[in-house]
Amino acid sequence: MPAFIEECRYEWKRLGVPDAMADEMAAELEADLAEAEADGVSAAEILGESDPRRFAATWATERGLVSQPPQKKSRKGLWIGLAVGLVILLLIALPALALITVSSGSVSTMHSAQPVRSLVIPNVIGKKACKAVRVVARSGADDWRIAGHQHGFSCKEHLVVVGQSPAGHVVRRDGHPVIVTLRLGRS
Amino acid sequence: MQRMASETRRSQMLRGVLDLCLLAVVVDEPAYGYEMTRRLSERGLSTVGEGSIYPLLGRLERDGLVATHRAASDGGPPRKYYRASPSGRRALAEGVRAWHEVRGEVDSILAAIELEVP
Repeated sequence: MPAFIEECRYEWKRLGVPDAMADEMAAELEADLAEAEADGVSAAEILGESDPRRFAATWATERGLVSQPPQKKSRKGLWIGLAVGLVILLLIALPALALITVSSGSVSTMHSAQPVRSLVIPNVIGKKACKAVRVVARSGADDWRIAGHQHGFSCKEHLVVVGQSPAGHVVRRDGHPVIVTLRLGRS
Repeated sequence: MQRMASETRRSQMLRGVLDLCLLAVVVDEPAYGYEMTRRLSERGLSTVGEGSIYPLLGRLERDGLVATHRAASDGGPPRKYYRASPSGRRALAEGVRAWHEVRGEVDSILAAIELEVP
């Protein structure tokens, strides 16, 4: 069997062409090439293709024996599809992420990108200092300070909030940062 | 360079009608692949450079335009014979009509040109 047909067989096997079909095509080709040679006609004239793998793949595909033609184009299409999918995912995910960030009340750069018109400052008077700070930090206030404790304080000092400014209520943002000042005292 | 461009144009033009030519040579009498190439050549059409007829025969078979059977040849191994099916005969008739229309339309423009190839 000529090397060309051997190569075709290899390609048909690789493409999953059923053996019976591959046998039929190989036999047809072998008989035709033998007769052409006897007539003095070159194989190139019969085949019109010098690449056996490409010839075999094209033939099998045209016969409907291969589900997907092995083309580079399909891989290119896959990459384009992935890129489009990624862009769509980002378009959906970014606004959703921004909403989550704002609604969680954390102070972040996303917060300034979508400013909240007003926010609720919780009333933390009477609460332990450390817990009060955590509550205020989560409220959406831009910053917090402890009056008279420039060097900070320790949670072990059993301090409680005895005053706060602004008091616990809805604060309207007017372009200035909302800073909550807490005054601490001994419990 | 000009010769290459001319061959490309010939290939492009033939590609659209080669299936009709194959159907035409098996519409009355079945033939195996190499025999079809020989019949085309005898009628003046060389398929050299136009690609193999086998993928085209595969498509005609898939589309039901040719029927096939295996039969012994003269002293050689059994061959796969192709013959135009009823659908293939209809496709050939429609294709020939379309060919005559297109050829007439193109001729009405190009036949009047009397330029010589430099």
